[in-house]
Amino acid sequence: MKKIFNSFNKNGHKIEKTPYLYLSPTLILMAVLLIIPIFMILRYSFFDNVIINKNPVFVGFQNYINVLTDPDFIVAAKNTLFFVSVSVIAHLVIGLFFAMLLNTDYLGEKTKGIFRVIYALPWMFTASVIAILWKMMLNPHGIINYLLQVGNLASTNIAWLSSRSFALMAVTLINIWAGYPFYMISILAGLQGISGDLYEAAAIDGATPVKQFFYITLPQLKPILISLLTLDFVWTIQQFALIWLTTGGGPINATETFSTYIYKQAFSRYQYSQASASAGIVLFICTILAIFYARQQKART
Amino acid sequence: MYGKKKWYIKMLIIIALLLGALFPAFPILWMFLNSFKPNPEIFAWPPTWISKAFSIRPYLAILQSPEKLRFFFNSYLISFFVVALTLVISILAAYAFSRFEFPGKGILNTMIISVQAVPPITLLIPYLGLVVTLRLYNTYGALILTYLLFTLPYAILMMTAYMNTLPQELDEAVMIDGGSRIKALWYVLVPTSVPGLVSVGMYTFMRAWNEYLFALTLTKTNDMRTVPVGISLLMGQHAYEWNQMLAMSVMGSFPVLILFLFFQKYFIAGMTAGSVKH
Amino acid sequence: MLSIRKGMVVLVVLAVLFSMSGTGFAQNVSLEFQQWWGVELPEGELRDIADGYTEETGIEIELLSNPYADTRDQISAGAATGTMADVVGLDGSWVYDFAVQGSIADLSELMEADGYDDSQLSDQIRVNGDTYMIPVANFAYPMFVNLDLLEEAGITELPETRSEFIAAAEAVTEKTGAYGWIIPLSTSTPSGIQNNFMGWLWASGGSMLENGRPNLVGNDKLIETVEFQKELFDKNLVSPGVYAMTESDMVEEFANGRVAFMIDSLAHLTTLRRGETDLNMAMMKVPTMDGYNGESGIGVANWGIGVASNTEHKAESMDFIEYLMSPEVNSRIAVAANAFPGNVNAEPEYKGADPLFLDAFEIYKDSYAINEFTGLPTSEQLMRDFAENLQLYLEGDYDSADEMLAVIEDEWEKAFE
Repeated sequence: MKKIFNSFNKNGHKIEKTPYLYLSPTLILMAVLLIIPIFMILRYSFFDNVIINKNPVFVGFQNYINVLTDPDFIVAAKNTLFFVSVSVIAHLVIGLFFAMLLNTDYLGEKTKGIFRVIYALPWMFTASVIAILWKMMLNPHGIINYLLQVGNLASTNIAWLSSRSFALMAVTLINIWAGYPFYMISILAGLQGISGDLYEAAAIDGATPVKQFFYITLPQLKPILISLLTLDFVWTIQQFALIWLTTGGGPINATETFSTYIYKQAFSRYQYSQASASAGIVLFICTILAIFYARQQKART
Repeated sequence: MYGKKKWYIKMLIIIALLLGALFPAFPILWMFLNSFKPNPEIFAWPPTWISKAFSIRPYLAILQSPEKLRFFFNSYLISFFVVALTLVISILAAYAFSRFEFPGKGILNTMIISVQAVPPITLLIPYLGLVVTLRLYNTYGALILTYLLFTLPYAILMMTAYMNTLPQELDEAVMIDGGSRIKALWYVLVPTSVPGLVSVGMYTFMRAWNEYLFALTLTKTNDMRTVPVGISLLMGQHAYEWNQMLAMSVMGSFPVLILFLFFQKYFIAGMTAGSVKH
Repeated sequence: MLSIRKGMVVLVVLAVLFSMSGTGFAQNVSLEFQQWWGVELPEGELRDIADGYTEETGIEIELLSNPYADTRDQISAGAATGTMADVVGLDGSWVYDFAVQGSIADLSELMEADGYDDSQLSDQIRVNGDTYMIPVANFAYPMFVNLDLLEEAGITELPETRSEFIAAAEAVTEKTGAYGWIIPLSTSTPSGIQNNFMGWLWASGGSMLENGRPNLVGNDKLIETVEFQKELFDKNLVSPGVYAMTESDMVEEFANGRVAFMIDSLAHLTTLRRGETDLNMAMMKVPTMDGYNGESGIGVANWGIGVASNTEHKAESMDFIEYLMSPEVNSRIAVAANAFPGNVNAEPEYKGADPLFLDAFEIYKDSYAINEFTGLPTSEQLMRDFAENLQLYLEGDYDSADEMLAVIEDEWEKAFE
């Protein structure tokens, strides 16, 4: 086996073909099912009236210019920036905090087990259900307003999702709720991989728990955290169902993001070319991020 | 390991955990309570906690409908295969990324992340066309392969990150003893990566279980559809079957909860890289 | 551990085999009928109706159901990739786009080929003169009233004009814990504009179009309608949270007695009657502008039907539509759906029906059915543009109704080009 696949490079260094062999299932899948459609979308973005017209016309970067000069797109960009940055940071902080709490040595396994399940609850529901549930709770006559009034924290029924000033925050909150368990579970898994010896050594040196967190836990988790942040950024930037089913991008355009903008372009205005161009822009942003990620990976190994 | 276990620290942690648990648990509790109410009462003001008209009818309505039970069966089947395939494919890929330097590594790493950046909504039409061309339309295969695309990037990244935390010496020891790379991977790295595998598996299961857009688009007959589509079918043009929707969501989460409880034990500290070398 | 690994290998092999097998395409002579109606009708009703057709002709009907909210996008995707069903349920607001894109077939041709007498159809939705959709069932949008709230507020007579309506809404809002008026303005499903807002305009004989093109700026009746809504909002007579509200949310507010008046689909009558509610309701005409004595329009939405342009069974598809439109079958659908029939010769037996349904039927017969959004280009987007700008106006971002209408008209004109 070994000899068939192994070939040595000039320096007599390690094997060359093997990694590709290990990667082949992934690469074949992605090449066929993702690269082809993505290529088609990028092609659409340079034509006019694709899909609905049998003979689209090549228009160069016109669609990109149209999108980038559309004031609605600029608003969507601002909202997306807020939505993504607040979501990603909150996911990380909450996920890390809960994971640390759940990893404590002070509690028995049974207790921790129950809490782990409770904390992972939001993960178990599909986006449309999460949207409906929160829409119910944030309704002016919903349970949240009720609890706020019972607790004397509010005097009127606040229309969270249809208020220009609250809607974006409300939608972001829903997204935070829905997404943190992903961090928590991943970080919990990562915490198991940190050798206990490190903490023992630190304890002998008299390091406080806070110091241990910053000098052992965080650095050890860094590779996992960076992967999580990168992926979460890419996913959050295209979060659609939660926003669409709660506010539809409104009121007015207070919660319009890239994804709702693209959806309206494609399925409401039937401007697939512009939708493709907008998707191309999102792809561009995420690719830059991915390049940083890959650089970082390289620097570490 | 954090020094002596002091009772007041324990109390503080439990209080923090209980307060913190309100955030994830309250909405779910509210969903659970509402699933037993008649539809109008779900929107009553002041809200009621436990309905006077408390009824398990929404649950029975689902359990008595073979069509709806089929949604559950489909979801289990698809999620199950997606988890199995994701784990195997990602272990292989992560091994390549974690243990080898090879030309194109950076590009592949970049690609695996950035290909997910295209919003699924825009992918819908070209992707559906592709699935039809491949003769996979309205099959389980279409959904399984699609979900693999969603889950693999995270699975590969996580497993790579995880394997990176495991020392090279582990697998090299096996190879020095005359074992192959596959052996090193299978007998040393895989068993030591169990916490990572469990978290990836949980994630994969959830992702496949909860996906909606492609589950709807790539299938056309109800016997191929999954739970999220089934829930949406309860949202009518004019009115929603709120309680049944909630009941179906609650029912859908039970098996996942049980799975999760079962796999808990793999999070136990001690299953770490260090403790495995004997 | 070893056995687990072996098990995993077996599973993977199974998974791969399974992925490849698939169910493939069925090649028998059957029609696919994609719609959202099956979910709305009593369970098994549509299946039963379709089976009746199979009995007559031997052609199998495969019912494909979609959630209503996604049906349009699914048809779009299906049309682009050749997976569209043979016969499709349509909403009037989708017709123009699908017709122009060539996804749905010209029914005029098919009817002519069949020698079908189209004078029995209550309506036909045309694009550039050719019929692309036939309404199977019509849903009227009268005004629902909560009589208990009116009584509590001391209102004894149902309002007939807008000023009487404002007075009634004020009394309800002041004297009860409820609100007078509610209107769903969500921009994700902006149908509130056609069903709940324009209903006011049409009731007073107004129109938003002239010769099939937008006529918003300087349209006095429309301006007055917009200003009337603003007055309701400014006086705080409108239930909170309407900017994110959809029709189904609105119904729950009404069902819980938190609002006195709403314009709503008759289809909701069953929803409002379900279970343990004992709402004391009535039906009424939408109040008209003060001093208006002409005929009133009543908003309608319909379940329409069309044929995919790439179906191999056009003749059979048309035949199936003719079956659904035949007086007996059409009556049956109308009764089951709480709707009015699409065939003028249909005589549905509403005998056992809710008395309120019969009241609404009287109002319907007394008015002319109208929905100006049906058959317009990117109809839903037009409603969305209107909803967004109406929200801005209600929030006070525009100085005048005409200023707002000018902006909307600009947007609309683009779609009509």
